[in-house]
Amino acid sequence: MKKRLFAFALLAAMLVGLLSGCGAKKAETPAAEDGVVVINYPTFQCGVNTAAPVVDQLISEFNETYAGKYQIVKEDVPGDANYVDKIKVQLGTGDLPPVIYGAGYNLLDLVIAKDLAVDLTPYVEADPEWKALYSDASLATNSRDGKIYASSVEGSQVGYFYNKELFAQAGIEAPATTWDELFQQCETLKAAGITPMALDTADSAWITQLWWGAMVATASEDGLAFMQTMNPRDYNTPELISTAEKIQKMLQEYTTLDAIGGKYENAANNFLSGQAAMIANGPWMIGDFSDTTKTTADFAEKVGVAIYPDGFVYDAPIQGYIVTKQDDPKLEEAAIEMVKFFTSAHAQQLGLEMQGMVPASPSVEITDYAKEQYPLLAEFLDKASEATVSTDNMQATMFSNLLDVISQELPRLYSGELDAAGFCQAMTDAAAKN
Amino acid sequence: MHTSFRNLTGKERAAFIGKYLFMGLCSLVALFPIVWVIMSSFKTNAEILSNGISLPSSLSPDGYIAALTISPILKYFGNSVIITVITTILNVLFLAMAAYVFARCRFRGRNLLYFILSLSLVVPTTALLQPVYSVVNTLGLYDTKMGLVLVYTAINMPMSLLILRGTFQSIPRALEEAAYLDGAGFLRTFFQIMMPCAKGGLTSAAVLTFLNSWNEFTFALMLTNGQEARTLPLSLSYFTAQFSFNYTAMFAAVTIAVIPSIIVFAIFQEQVVSSLTAGSVKG
Amino acid sequence: MRAKKRWIVLFLLPAVILFLLIYAIPLVMVFLTSLFDYRLTGSGMTFVGLKNYVQMFHDPAFRTSLLHTIIWILIHCVLHVALGVALALVLYKKPRGWKFVRTTYMIPNIISNAAVGMIFLNIFNPQYGVVNSILRAVGLERLTHNWLNETATAFPSVTMVWLLFAGYTTTLVLAEALSIDESVLEAAKVDGATGFQMDKFVVLPLLRKIIATTMVMAATYMLQMFDLIYVTTNGGPGKATTNLPLLLYGVYKSENNYGYANTIGVVIILLGAIVMTIINKLFRVNEDDY
Repeated sequence: MKKRLFAFALLAAMLVGLLSGCGAKKAETPAAEDGVVVINYPTFQCGVNTAAPVVDQLISEFNETYAGKYQIVKEDVPGDANYVDKIKVQLGTGDLPPVIYGAGYNLLDLVIAKDLAVDLTPYVEADPEWKALYSDASLATNSRDGKIYASSVEGSQVGYFYNKELFAQAGIEAPATTWDELFQQCETLKAAGITPMALDTADSAWITQLWWGAMVATASEDGLAFMQTMNPRDYNTPELISTAEKIQKMLQEYTTLDAIGGKYENAANNFLSGQAAMIANGPWMIGDFSDTTKTTADFAEKVGVAIYPDGFVYDAPIQGYIVTKQDDPKLEEAAIEMVKFFTSAHAQQLGLEMQGMVPASPSVEITDYAKEQYPLLAEFLDKASEATVSTDNMQATMFSNLLDVISQELPRLYSGELDAAGFCQAMTDAAAKN
Repeated sequence: MHTSFRNLTGKERAAFIGKYLFMGLCSLVALFPIVWVIMSSFKTNAEILSNGISLPSSLSPDGYIAALTISPILKYFGNSVIITVITTILNVLFLAMAAYVFARCRFRGRNLLYFILSLSLVVPTTALLQPVYSVVNTLGLYDTKMGLVLVYTAINMPMSLLILRGTFQSIPRALEEAAYLDGAGFLRTFFQIMMPCAKGGLTSAAVLTFLNSWNEFTFALMLTNGQEARTLPLSLSYFTAQFSFNYTAMFAAVTIAVIPSIIVFAIFQEQVVSSLTAGSVKG
Repeated sequence: MRAKKRWIVLFLLPAVILFLLIYAIPLVMVFLTSLFDYRLTGSGMTFVGLKNYVQMFHDPAFRTSLLHTIIWILIHCVLHVALGVALALVLYKKPRGWKFVRTTYMIPNIISNAAVGMIFLNIFNPQYGVVNSILRAVGLERLTHNWLNETATAFPSVTMVWLLFAGYTTTLVLAEALSIDESVLEAAKVDGATGFQMDKFVVLPLLRKIIATTMVMAATYMLQMFDLIYVTTNGGPGKATTNLPLLLYGVYKSENNYGYANTIGVVIILLGAIVMTIINKLFRVNEDDY
């Protein structure tokens, strides 16, 4: 009997140990002093993410400035998609971190739908310096129903890069100013035995959709209106179908074999290895041009930058930092201070100088230091300022389920299984599911 | 199989060649991925993305250095070892107990209960996320190693149960009856007679639990936020962001994650096989 | 046997507690919420009865995914398990080098799926992939394909990503086969059984249950298969490689429609229950050997 009791006790001990004992929670906050409000800040801007060093710098500056009052503890959530997944689970359980970065994933609307976003309007209104950083575009991106819910730090200005050496080989002197000219250049390049474009279809077809959106935005007034609509539902319009036809042509005739099913990485590699003459992408790629694990040492000198034909460039602030409602008002206050600090003119300039990130606010000065550090970026910003049409990119505004659909259907557009109208119909059908 | 090839008849020779051809092909298919991963850990990003099967141009350790500096891989490695070892022990012990009862004892609702427990095998992960997050949070186990141990012990439950019940079923009843006649109680019969006889199944269950826990990603992501309980699979995410990537470092990290488990597996198998052949009970 | 009853309860307790903590709530929730209009973006839940089910059966994407799932389960249960069992039957006789093969064959199962996915993206790459390179080298240029991205070849190509790696099956069956008493085999040998006959009439029947176990594992593996498809084709082109988990994930993650996602979840669970029952009946798993 004793033995049995012993066994019983052993089992019970094991279970209890499993469920609680050994799990004894370590102190919530590592060595927080009394009265210091700790902000646990999960972020995907870690690891190889280009913004990681900037965020680290901002955190240490913030902690220094607010020493004894506030303290940010960074929590890595490596991988953008992982971050979004985790935030969504926490949204479901109502257990959000105090500060969320909306980025290109439109987390703002989800947080608002759950009524968990703090209205920043009074705080922005009360601070003229902060308010001055909000351009019209920034207001549009970060507010809903006239209330400001987020604050941007980075802008997304996207044109395309071209390989000057390959252009010269084909006898092309300057980037195209009209779409007809661009397609003509593609023919010329092809005739010279050069693949004109690096494209992709996997992972939401980032590069391919940049070309598509640029053509849509410049096709007509309606096209531009479409590009400016949040969550558009109707892809069955003449502009979208006629431009989808051109995308079909690009995929079939002007790109590499592995663009179909290819990821961003494959397309980037095709451009970086000199196998394709053009790639649509933003300034964050500039660093790669001199990264010798990705390309040859002298590649950076060969790259030119351009805005799209018809004077178009993508230009929109990226959805910024959101403060979420917390039980503790002090924590909310701290979070608001953090967001203000992280999106200040200083922070935007820091991003620019450290990593060549485009500031969200046009009022932030592009310093000489930055121009010297990133000549290609300076050149691009000059050209972008001359653009006549600009809007946000398609991916940022489409329903999130379309991000998968576009990847699934582009290979069929390429193979001819779908024509341009069928492709647009598939997009419209998927949009209707929302 | 130590008969000389020369003494075999034609048919036997064909069978002999066929057998080794089959074994050779299986090894080849199985070795390809690991060789590819190790080779890639020495290539530049451009080489990995340009020609998958070319040899690396140099044997530079840059990938490994980057893997160690970009991600806290060593810390995660230690966490993974602790979490998977505890999980494996608890899982095999608990499920051996349950499986034994399911295999040997008759009680009302036995098959129904077994069926319900097996259903765990097919519950979609997405359905688990929010409830498990809440449960772990409520128990105060969020961001602890024990939180992950709890979840991993549970998610490996149905498979271990399946394997171990089969194992116990195939042990002759005579063994147990003899033990009872000798006056051994339930507990002693289980630990001293049945467990040793079930070594094969126990090992299989342990290996599977170990590997599943070692590679689990979703819950590791959802149930941790600091560096104290994070596991290896999370470190792999440090190397690919939306517009930046370091595949060399990623494959170096994969190599760092995989090599120890291969060694553990090989040693484990060796131990078990020798003990199996020492005392065969089945038949 | 009073005392024994207590032991039964005690022995079952840990497993049952684990089940209750981790699985019971989700299991109930899946069935329950499939009757609701329940979205991440909405504020609450509205009871809609069987509306989600009606919608599902009218959804062509669902029918395609269901079909793909069933086909994959069948392929996996038959070909994959057969491969694993065949190798185990070769190895248990301990031919020279068997330990090496046993260990190496398990390696692909140890490598993370993200890496395995990337390897196959490389193998099937239309430009420089292994498959097309070999075809070109032997002059079969016309047979080259963009394997993972053409509607006709995507399904079989994705299948190859997991079909050949039967390490789990081999490990399980081999462990069981090695524990067969030598004397049984000796007796059969004396009776004049040849190698093949012995495998078929003596060894295989003894392995019946473990083979059933590996089949259940194979079936549920395919029923839950997600990440390898996600990283290679993401269900495309069109819906050519979409299965139920992928469809569910899309509805869950991109459409944020949890009610409908759980309706698909119910189908996965029921399908799993059916498949397990069939395999158990087929192999008479609940019958005792002794």
